[in-house]
Amino acid sequence: MKKIVVLFLCISHFVIAQNPVDFDIEDFYYLKRSQSLKVTLNNDKFTIINEVYEKAKYNTANKLFFANDLIHFDSFTDINDIEAFTENASSKIKVDHFETKDSFGGSVFFSDQQSINFVFPAVKKGAKTTLRYKENIKDPHFLGSFRFGSFVPTKEAVYTVEVPKNVALGFKTFNLEKANVQFEKKETKRTTIYTWKANNIGDFRKEDKSLSILKYLPHVIVYIKNYKTKGVEKPVLNDVKDLYSWYVTLKNQVDKSNLEEVFNITENLVKDLKSDKEKAKAIFNWVQDNITYVAFEDGLGGFIPRGAASVCNKRYGDCKDMANILFEMLNHVGIEAHHTWIGTRDRPYSYYEVPTPIVDNHMITTVFIDDEIIFLDATDSYVPFGMSSSFTQSKEALIGISDEEFKIVKVPIQEKEKNTSLIETTITLEESTIKASEKRTMKGYEMVDFIYDAKYKKDDTSYEEYLNNKYQIGNNKTAYTKIDLGDLSSKNDSHSISYDIEINNYAKKIGSKIYLNLNLEKPLSTATIQADKQRFGKKIDHKYIRNYKTTFVIPEGYALKTIPKNIANELDLYGYSFTFEKKENKLIVNKIIYMNTLALENEQFEDYNIFIKSLIKAYKKSIVLEKI
Amino acid sequence: MKKIFSIALLLIATTSFSQHFKTYDWKENPTLHELSEEENAESSIAILKKNIVEFKQSVITNDINVYETTHNIIRVNDDIGIAKHNQVYISMRNVKKIKSIKARTISKEGKITNLDENNIKQIENVEEYGDFQIFAIEGAENGSEIEVLYTVEKEFSPFGSETLQFDYPIKRSEMVFITNNLTGNIKTYNTDQTFDRTYLEEKLVEELVLNDIPATVEEDYATSEANKVYVAYQCFGNPDLTQESLWNSTIGNIANGYFPKSIEKSAISEVENVILKDQKNDISIYTKAALLENYIKSNFTVVENRNEQLNDIEYILKNKTASEYSIVKAYAQFLEAMEIEYQIVITANRFEHKLDPEFYSPSALREFMIYLPEIKQYISPTRIDYRLSEAPSNILGNNGIFINKDVEYYFAKITQYDPNYSNIKRVMDISFSDDFDKVIIDENQEYSGHWGIQNRAVMTFFTGQDKEDFKDQLTGSGIEDKNILNFEVGNTTMNQTEYNLPYIVKSVTESSALLEEAGDSYIFQLGKVIGVQSELYQEKERVHPIEMQYPNQYNYTITVDIPKGYTLEGLESLEINKRMEVDGKLLCKWLSEYEIKQNKLVITIEESYYINEFPKEHYESFRQVINAASDFNKAAILFSVE
Repeated sequence: MKKIVVLFLCISHFVIAQNPVDFDIEDFYYLKRSQSLKVTLNNDKFTIINEVYEKAKYNTANKLFFANDLIHFDSFTDINDIEAFTENASSKIKVDHFETKDSFGGSVFFSDQQSINFVFPAVKKGAKTTLRYKENIKDPHFLGSFRFGSFVPTKEAVYTVEVPKNVALGFKTFNLEKANVQFEKKETKRTTIYTWKANNIGDFRKEDKSLSILKYLPHVIVYIKNYKTKGVEKPVLNDVKDLYSWYVTLKNQVDKSNLEEVFNITENLVKDLKSDKEKAKAIFNWVQDNITYVAFEDGLGGFIPRGAASVCNKRYGDCKDMANILFEMLNHVGIEAHHTWIGTRDRPYSYYEVPTPIVDNHMITTVFIDDEIIFLDATDSYVPFGMSSSFTQSKEALIGISDEEFKIVKVPIQEKEKNTSLIETTITLEESTIKASEKRTMKGYEMVDFIYDAKYKKDDTSYEEYLNNKYQIGNNKTAYTKIDLGDLSSKNDSHSISYDIEINNYAKKIGSKIYLNLNLEKPLSTATIQADKQRFGKKIDHKYIRNYKTTFVIPEGYALKTIPKNIANELDLYGYSFTFEKKENKLIVNKIIYMNTLALENEQFEDYNIFIKSLIKAYKKSIVLEKI
Repeated sequence: MKKIFSIALLLIATTSFSQHFKTYDWKENPTLHELSEEENAESSIAILKKNIVEFKQSVITNDINVYETTHNIIRVNDDIGIAKHNQVYISMRNVKKIKSIKARTISKEGKITNLDENNIKQIENVEEYGDFQIFAIEGAENGSEIEVLYTVEKEFSPFGSETLQFDYPIKRSEMVFITNNLTGNIKTYNTDQTFDRTYLEEKLVEELVLNDIPATVEEDYATSEANKVYVAYQCFGNPDLTQESLWNSTIGNIANGYFPKSIEKSAISEVENVILKDQKNDISIYTKAALLENYIKSNFTVVENRNEQLNDIEYILKNKTASEYSIVKAYAQFLEAMEIEYQIVITANRFEHKLDPEFYSPSALREFMIYLPEIKQYISPTRIDYRLSEAPSNILGNNGIFINKDVEYYFAKITQYDPNYSNIKRVMDISFSDDFDKVIIDENQEYSGHWGIQNRAVMTFFTGQDKEDFKDQLTGSGIEDKNILNFEVGNTTMNQTEYNLPYIVKSVTESSALLEEAGDSYIFQLGKVIGVQSELYQEKERVHPIEMQYPNQYNYTITVDIPKGYTLEGLESLEINKRMEVDGKLLCKWLSEYEIKQNKLVITIEESYYINEFPKEHYESFRQVINAASDFNKAAILFSVE
């Protein structure tokens, strides 16, 4: 369920604070960014207005393209009273043209997101631009949040929230210590005013393959807990219970009519199956294979799953549609299944900390079979039954047991033993050319990743080019033959591929000796982290074990002169071991590399780099053969 | 040059039939089509793609109406195929009325699922594309056929085009062009087949049938998009119009704002008080033009929106905001004020479209350039990453219309004036740490021409991780544990005024991974110091003609210290000599050689591409020259104890 996070202006790039901030070296920065949220309540009806103000400066003429600006909004908000202008030494020119555009493209097929686009006139070195507008927030569940950092540094950031005395405000702050944010709570006669202020905040820009920026960015999330009217307290989002009750009202609007076809299909799928697990698996695989993911974001419709009959007939749906059809199919054959709300790994919030819809952005189905909890996410077409989708590991799942009862359960992290690659290689040597046959057998997320890649990333490249780029075996001069990528559309617990390779001039033959490095593939050799440049922790998609079993056939007329020593560096979070064993005319190399964490925090970088360095050293060892 | 295929459709007036789309329909009881095993192995394949374009003049009002019908039947065989075809976007650009939209799927079992019209959504003002009607195909599953049929009535425009090749194969492609006695022309591109005149319901029409159009193929060094099969057509009420008169009138219109009769006071004042302030009187035309371009690109913003005022020169000069087309008007004002001779060049991105001088098509007029004939350089008015230069790679080699101030015009191929404009010079000194654990690379590089301009832009606009990635490329990508010890760049600011000033990179890097241990010897992956090189594969026959970005050259000198007590082996892998000669003319080459000078190994490399378009028949030798670099990248030498 790709839900819209209202009020979270999607600023696309962010980076972390470096203190102190030198504004003079910036091409462009914010002099001030502020939001002032005012909640009023009349006859049980909320009016919520958020005033947004941004003043920026162009220090150079290098990035005039920032003059193209826009305000995002959706059907939960209206934008009013926009004022925008540019100030130069001797002039002030107002923006006189605004146009509204629908959002389009990306992974969402249809969205109610829109933007008001405009261009600041006459920006040049020294120009200052000002933008001011009001957001009218129509639903009290979406009060929003404020980020103290942005994609460029900010001199001054202020967030003010004013609520009447009969409205209880909840808030949760994140990483405020990183920007030295000052907080003040002030009572007036009728209202309470909360103010957060910070100065000289560095830039925050997203990094590839990093942990979520929200783990580092100073920000505040606010929400309405409850309000009192005529002495009676009415809940809004006091706690998860309130959030869940609201979700239930949305979920109960799901169309449950005309399910005959859905039930027919379900019955057919399970008719020869005995155990609940087999049945659940068959149903899950059917939805994975037959319902195509098409995402819609359309007001509250973005929260209410479409009826299973419609999804079944149309053969497409988004996450909540898939979750709901699974729910109907599974329950129909007596398997206890529940609607489940969840946030993906890039959303680092807990329902207990912030009981608001900001926590989740996705929906799955949870089944209980013999005391076992199984999370089903059919938006991942290739994940094996029994495993959650990789991007929901470690996240809290809000499982709706009944209209009154819910459970919060953490989705387990799949252990490294479940995500494995076994690479079996037999190598022979002819002159300086290596010939090898290789078979790779993948399980778990190692398999899922491979299938996604092979299906969607190969593009127009040949299989040979694709494999060369993917594995970089030997060097990218490797010739592949007898490539068999296996049946990519069948559902199995493991997937195998095989091919033969040939690499010319790989071995160095000098005099009577041959020098040969048997590490044809060097996983993690480029994984050194630039600790001074990497600002956020590193994200690792899944834990894994990769095992390389290499058999080298010693060529006739030669004897092994030098083989590397066995070496191992097996740590809690990651590790490797290399063993070398001579058996008759063969040298057997067994290389194991594993990753046993989903994240490397900044303070772990140094140890990790030492580990990578030792791994690279291990890769550097060649064997030496000598003519008999 | 392709032969023009143009027919004036002057037909005997027949009684007015109704429009063809009114009787055209899909099959009432569809069944799945028979496909071969090979066809079924495709993720998706079009069984039919049909376009009907009909122009019809109203007898009552004399208005010309245009009707466009699209009919597709596509077999989807797997999830990739479904994902490619299950979302339909119908552009509403110039559409007056939707006559009908219908869609259905026929499943493997023959079940028919019709599109529920309530599920069609409207989206408005999408980037530069305008409005759309969109819907998702209902009932699509593996092995089903998706059928879409719709007709729109459009505002009259005498010109149009239709792309007939896509990234999936097409069994049968049909196009029907109906002018109902109006004068019209239609021309096919990137296929030998032409339209036939046939009778359709007693109307004489132009019809094209193409069988088995292969899927488009993406290849390196190719303009794949521009090489797709497509047709362009014209239809107007006036039979006297010729290609020449069409060009003339467009150019007349365009030239109006681009060669102004009067100069705005503010432009004159900005030239005097800002652009040329503190400059000597005798500065070169190059410097003058560079100052002007730097000024505009530091003070004006080019935008895409529907603000009509962007066509007004006063508004542009005051707000310093213009559209892609109207920014040229601002340049014109300043160029006139500075008395620099200029021509306007209208062309297209050669990777998207090859401009055809013999068939007028306004949609081909996509890029506006300013050419300065006295210095033979171009201004790219919409590109903030570019400055005064030879023709940038996206237009180099395309045809352009060159217009001078007397509004005389000529078509010419856009060429490069200085053949040695772009080159990279690298001097590397390589040494080793005492324990033979690390390689230290001390490198000086000079990037001239397009290379220099691009580096300047990337290092100016990129920030954070993207910039670090680019620094990695500038210091040799693919060195596993490379550590950049020192990195300095020179001539970095975008606003330069000197001709072809090179971009300078000086760096010191170290790596341990480049050395491998073998007993008491060391293998040095020397080739890797030049960074990862592109490798051209050829499993299938080359489809597209070879087009590079621009002519360019590389010169390397790599000097390696030979530590005392070691001898070198395996040097033969450093010597590579590949060249492509056509009719006795050397078109490109790679030559790497080495010599030992005292205790140093000195390698020189010369890689040159003297032109940027190469004949397809010589693809194999082109590939060998390109791959020579990636071969060199794998070269390793052995240091063994004496």
